[in-house]
Amino acid sequence: MLKCRVIPILTFNGFALVKSKEFGSNARMVGNAIQAAKVYNSRNVDELVFLDIYASDKKRKINLQLARLIINECFMPVALGGGIKSLKDIEDLLAIGADKVVLKSKIIEDPEFINEASVVYGNQCITLAIDAIKKEDGLYYLYNSINKEIPLFEFLEEIKEYNFGEIILTSVNNDGMMNGFDIELVKKVEKIIKVPIVVAGGAGEPSHFKQLFFNTNIEAVAASSIFHFTRYTPRDIKLAIQDTGKPVRILDQNHIPFN
Amino acid sequence: MTIAIVKYGMGNVASVQKVLKKLGYSSIITDSHSEIKQSDLILLPGVGSFKQGMENLNNYGLLDLLTKEVLINKKPFIGICLGMQLLATYGNEPEKVAGLGWIDGEVVKIESPKGLRIPHLGWNTLNTSSSKELYISSSQKDYYFIHSYHFKVDNPDVVTFTVNYDGEIAAALQKDNIYAMQFHPEKSQQVGMDLLKKIIDQYA
Repeated sequence: MLKCRVIPILTFNGFALVKSKEFGSNARMVGNAIQAAKVYNSRNVDELVFLDIYASDKKRKINLQLARLIINECFMPVALGGGIKSLKDIEDLLAIGADKVVLKSKIIEDPEFINEASVVYGNQCITLAIDAIKKEDGLYYLYNSINKEIPLFEFLEEIKEYNFGEIILTSVNNDGMMNGFDIELVKKVEKIIKVPIVVAGGAGEPSHFKQLFFNTNIEAVAASSIFHFTRYTPRDIKLAIQDTGKPVRILDQNHIPFN
Repeated sequence: MTIAIVKYGMGNVASVQKVLKKLGYSSIITDSHSEIKQSDLILLPGVGSFKQGMENLNNYGLLDLLTKEVLINKKPFIGICLGMQLLATYGNEPEKVAGLGWIDGEVVKIESPKGLRIPHLGWNTLNTSSSKELYISSSQKDYYFIHSYHFKVDNPDVVTFTVNYDGEIAAALQKDNIYAMQFHPEKSQQVGMDLLKKIIDQYA
């Protein structure tokens, strides 16, 4: 039986790991990326996502040397994203051992890029980051840094037939707030998108995961703050998900790294 | 022994080498005919489309060499993901094309009448009906899958592991010296490494 995935997301500012709130620019520093990768590898997490969250805004590429060091610590699948604008950018990341690349800004400017990339590298390695923001009018929009007003569900209807393998759906309003997931948003998106969906934004305690898995049919969840700022581990989260009757992968022993 | 990881422009060869190194095997990433001939075991990884995979093997001049080494010289061979699918008679991604044809069958899109999400992506349990210790000891554990197409074999006797995703589909195959896996042992942490080691050590 396919297990529900629990995926730590590491967000990076070009120098260190950071954690934002509501996608704000004053993200808090939370440590060293390589060290974090080492710990998550020792905890046998299902996958890892590493994002350079300011790369597109700052018009830079992800630091390949650092990304390579992170991947070298990981014996599970790793997705990398940040500032990907060309097939060459994707090729560079796959060449150092990334299993998936996460596309965001580029697909807003040029959705055709999704198919251009998947025809070369396969749709399984093309993940889309869909950042949803609920505005004061109560409607959802696709968050973007070019101040374009893009109604979220229209955008998803437009791109759903493109050839990608997965989406990471993040609630911007709930990002870093640790008050729970936006379940209304997830329920709407899971009706439109037919590839696997990774839900992110809002996890603060294990009960939030129970609410999410009890009320939706999604099979993957990502989180960041809960791992940085609380004592909960991915294993604690999986035990909570298991309580809802959904399958998870829990290994008996964790191997402890010595260095 | 030296393992030749075949370089043919189809994805993540670095991860495979990292795992082989961790297991203590020496390996080379290569498209050189002489290096592949001299190697003790050939490993064909790969992600991407079937058609592109066959075209690349052809463009790298590897089709006849691999067939001779594996089918005639009986060199041990491990195919992973696309490297398993390419062994089929035909593939269908994105259209019907001939494969290596070492194992009879066709690679077709996964169908889910229940409406499960495709690709089949994540950790799933291997089942086996084999009586071999190699397969029994590695079954009932979770391995990492990511694929939208699956290998429908003509002869079910070659199937060593199945996986359930709205029905049982082939997760691994063996025919003589040819081992093939749809999942990614190199991405499956300890259980994946254990399985690779058991297969390789039969020839070490």
